[in-house]
Amino acid sequence: MQEDLASALSRKLLEVNIKGEVRNLEPLTGGASKEIWKFEVSKNGQSTQMILRRGSGIEGPLAIKTADEALIQKEVIKVGAPVPTILAVSKNEEDLGDAYIMNFVEGESIARKILRDEEYKKALPVLAYQCGEAIAKIHNADINNFTFLPKKPARDQLEDLYSTYQSFGQPSPVFEYAYLWLKDQDFSNLHESLVHGDFRLGNIIVNRDGLQSIIDWELAHIGNPLQDLGWFCGNSWRFGNNDRVVGGFGDLEDLLKGYNSISKFKVNKEMVKCWQVFGTFRWGVICLIQAYAHLNGAINSIEKAAIGRRVSETEIDIADLLFLGGK
Amino acid sequence: MIFDRPTSSELIKAVIDFLETKIKHELPAHLAFKIRITNNVLGMVQREIDQGEQLSEEVIEVMSNLINSDEATTKKLSDLIKNGDLDLTDIKLKELLVLLSKNKIAIDNPNYSTYKKLIK
Repeated sequence: MQEDLASALSRKLLEVNIKGEVRNLEPLTGGASKEIWKFEVSKNGQSTQMILRRGSGIEGPLAIKTADEALIQKEVIKVGAPVPTILAVSKNEEDLGDAYIMNFVEGESIARKILRDEEYKKALPVLAYQCGEAIAKIHNADINNFTFLPKKPARDQLEDLYSTYQSFGQPSPVFEYAYLWLKDQDFSNLHESLVHGDFRLGNIIVNRDGLQSIIDWELAHIGNPLQDLGWFCGNSWRFGNNDRVVGGFGDLEDLLKGYNSISKFKVNKEMVKCWQVFGTFRWGVICLIQAYAHLNGAINSIEKAAIGRRVSETEIDIADLLFLGGK
Repeated sequence: MIFDRPTSSELIKAVIDFLETKIKHELPAHLAFKIRITNNVLGMVQREIDQGEQLSEEVIEVMSNLINSDEATTKKLSDLIKNGDLDLTDIKLKELLVLLSKNKIAIDNPNYSTYKKLIK
């Protein structure tokens, strides 16, 4: 099977005039719903490392096509956002399926390693500012280049999330409260922009100098840019470091300093809070979607079963944010 | 209960210990990771067996007082919130939602950062 994959990769790369022998194919543990392979292309004793990212056909209802992720990366690299260079794109009906090939970026994406390992000690103090800059570059991109992406205004998303939650018939008083609270918020501030949709540790590559690349664009859409900031600042993505609001390592002031140094629209701390609640509710509903994919028999998976009991993490985070002064 | 020891909780504990000490380190990294998830899941089941009834009843008692009904369930409470039958600014409602959240996470993941912060 790996031989088939290697020859499909060779053929695809030949189309874009990259010649050489494909070898050392190695599966990487990436997102739950995508295949990720690392491999080398060698020619005349020189070898280049590359990554194949490929849809599995079992992506969740919120995900875009894998090939469309490549189109986004091709665009945002032009406005200075750090992303891997796209080398080739494959459509669903081709041998590789819905997939793309990009250059391999050296560094770490596993959150707990970035937060814990000595290697990244010097990167962490500058990372929030760097992430702020990078997110602002994404948000500054011209949305006319992304007409293939779904438009998801906050209110539409909120209604979608709520009806998805309701469809599982598992009532949550905290979610009901959060929904009513969110409906009451003013989401009209700021302009429409490209939203990454899942910006957090796990989806960025970091080395000893800090941010290297933004990956995993499957939840990208056109919407309110504050969504990315609120999501990144949710406790769900602090990996145990509750007191470090940004990704478990940084402060909101630094993130916004970096953001406002680039962004056309200035953001203050108060604007982020309702998006933290929104993001936490959204993660809770995504947990439900995953758990019910297991419970409905679509996929039998211990990970997906376990994630059903992570909904309560989002409930206590919402209760903390709304009732107990949580940050 | 008519059943002998080991109790269901003790049996699960034995399985967790077996997987942790005898199996996990024999496996390649990606499967060892699945054993970690498996043990997390078994830990939830063990805690639910040991403390689930008490934690659940504690919430239901407070809920019955607030909604003044014999039918104190998360479904009933959800419906009352949804239909606007409860004052959303009522401190008693907020306290109930905090208690409910705490008691659920106490079973699901007592190491969760927000829970640890709140019980300090």
